[in-house]
Amino acid sequence: MRIVCPFCGERELGEFTCLGDAKPVRPAAGASEDEVFDYVYLRDNIAGEMSEHWYHGGGCRAWLKITRNTLTHEICSVEPAAGAGARQAAR
Amino acid sequence: MAEFSWLPRSPLEHALVVGACGAREVAPGISLTEIRNFDLIQIMARRGKGAELANAAKARFGMAAPEVPKAVSASDVTLIWSGPDQFLVLSKGGKHAMDILSQAFSQSASLSDQSHARALISISGTKARAMLAKLSSLDLHPASFPIGAAAATSIDHTSVNLWRGNDRPDGQAVFNLLVFATFAESLWHTMLDAAAEYGVDIGHSAEV
Repeated sequence: MRIVCPFCGERELGEFTCLGDAKPVRPAAGASEDEVFDYVYLRDNIAGEMSEHWYHGGGCRAWLKITRNTLTHEICSVEPAAGAGARQAAR
Repeated sequence: MAEFSWLPRSPLEHALVVGACGAREVAPGISLTEIRNFDLIQIMARRGKGAELANAAKARFGMAAPEVPKAVSASDVTLIWSGPDQFLVLSKGGKHAMDILSQAFSQSASLSDQSHARALISISGTKARAMLAKLSSLDLHPASFPIGAAAATSIDHTSVNLWRGNDRPDGQAVFNLLVFATFAESLWHTMLDAAAEYGVDIGHSAEV
């Protein structure tokens, strides 16, 4: 499998690490216990296109947001995660 | 008070044996040269300061820092892309050392002195690309990796910064490789194994 890093170009899978689901959003400081439990432990087991965070640790060390089809492993889209490098990718 | 004498020593001091290695019946297809005594500073833009860093770099070096995977050189410095909004400054003789650059970039970037944290290896020769092809998944053909091309990548599970310098006088391509000091010996042996069949000429130099 190959992933096209928006900064480096096409690279082999071994340079990347998958963090997992990019959907969960950290609850606000005063959130209920249930909301925090959800955020920390509960994950959807998606069969199909899934948004994930990946880390290009063997390359430019940028965090990426990747849409991957969990049935076919097709990578549908790759974009920089919010933060470092977003300015450059936006151009 | 105890007296300390700090002497810079190469991370390849033990592994590197000057001379011929591998196949002897052919002219060496690979030159492996360790470059010693360089200044290397990692510069990373602070959050939201990418444009400011770009301006400061231009003012300091007289050329734009690379914003895509490339290495650009002036007479006394090479700027190597290492990721979005970050690059490495390679020089020698202290002209672009930490104390000087930290003032020039105090407003826009965070700096980290990597001078003694990396080993710099220069790979060239008729079989250089063939040897690297065994270890790297990148396409290093001149059509896709011309002079000045750079990559942050992994070789043998080790993170490296790889870039193509100016060709040797005999026209052979030169690949420069920066590797973490503590990984240098391991990578060195891996490269020697990959290069042995072509014959290797090993040396070290103080010229960046």
